[in-house]
Amino acid sequence: MNEELDSQLSAMFDDELAPGECELLARRLSRDEQLKARWGRYAVVGAAIRSERGVRLNAPLAGLVSAVILAEPALAAAHGARRTGVRWWQPVAAAAVAAGVAAVSVLWLRAQAPLAGAPLSAHLTTPTATVPSAAVVPAAAAGVPDSYVVPRAPAVRAMAVPSIELANYVVAHSVFSSPVTRRNLLSAFMTGESGTAAEEPRDDAQGNVQ
Amino acid sequence: MSADASDLSLVRRVQRGDKGAFDALVLKYQHKLVKLVMRYVRNPAEAEDIAQEAFIKAYRALPQFRGDSAFYTWLYRIAINTAKNAVVSRDRSPVEYDLDRNNEDSYDMQGRMKDSETPEGLVLTDEIRSTVNAAIDALPEDLRTAIVLRELEGLSYEEIAAAMACPVGTVRSRIFRAREAIDRRLREVFEGGLGRAEELG
Repeated sequence: MNEELDSQLSAMFDDELAPGECELLARRLSRDEQLKARWGRYAVVGAAIRSERGVRLNAPLAGLVSAVILAEPALAAAHGARRTGVRWWQPVAAAAVAAGVAAVSVLWLRAQAPLAGAPLSAHLTTPTATVPSAAVVPAAAAGVPDSYVVPRAPAVRAMAVPSIELANYVVAHSVFSSPVTRRNLLSAFMTGESGTAAEEPRDDAQGNVQ
Repeated sequence: MSADASDLSLVRRVQRGDKGAFDALVLKYQHKLVKLVMRYVRNPAEAEDIAQEAFIKAYRALPQFRGDSAFYTWLYRIAINTAKNAVVSRDRSPVEYDLDRNNEDSYDMQGRMKDSETPEGLVLTDEIRSTVNAAIDALPEDLRTAIVLRELEGLSYEEIAAAMACPVGTVRSRIFRAREAIDRRLREVFEGGLGRAEELG
């Protein structure tokens, strides 16, 4: 047996070893039966010097305790299982938060969305009215009734971008919600989306808005 | 150097699921705990049972131990409470009269006694004590003083260093050498001694 190791063991027994060394030696002590036996004899020596009663080498008490503990689950596993039991509410809370955020987002987007009819056309026509696009000029020159040519892409983008972001958000956070909540949310979202699409004035092939 | 670092390192290992580390704590404190419990119960066998129960309770409660106090202080409280409860429940429980004292098989006093109470156990304890005392007497003066100040007086290495006017490292070395000498003597005497005890039994 390494003398330095035994010297460390003696110091550790007296709580006189540096914490870092204690960590290493504790690891070895818990596995090395020879070292553990020496550790036990140090305790016997101390007890004998103090004239304690019933001092024995290989006292059965340690063996009895060890046998009982061996039959029990390790503390880390038992403690982990208990912690898992306490956390049952966490997915529910996460789902509630995700659903709440999604609902607020839907309400906020609805509040931002234009009302049916006039406001939408006003919204869409405003840019073209102030800054005539190239398409407006030939139409006016041809003597056709005033019309406003609305570029297709910006109009689609104005409605689609929030929807895509919202859809992405809902899908990305769907792991936190229950299937029923998720389905309700998505169906509510889709209903709102199709309703908005229905209210949207139809463009003709040239994108003229009446 | 933080006090109780060695116990704490073992406790942390147990808390992480290393049961072997708890054996080391039991080996270190079993004698102290039995001695402590003996203040409440006179019967050594009962004291050992209570100490065993206290260790098992401590193991089960170890996830709640945060290290705010020293491990032994915490264990001490568990042992005291266990001993008090045992005394109360023993006083409440009726005395057993159903033993058939005529039947030698059912009333085996020898079997009911713990090793420490049996004549062989007491002889073994006395032999250990006398062997240790003889080994201490045979030690050089500086080793003997160091081990006695540590084990009997409970002084820290720093206090022993101050008392013996030497560095702390020297104290550590002297205590280790003293323990090794006593341990060697114990093994010489008792390596066949346990077998001899069985012969006596």
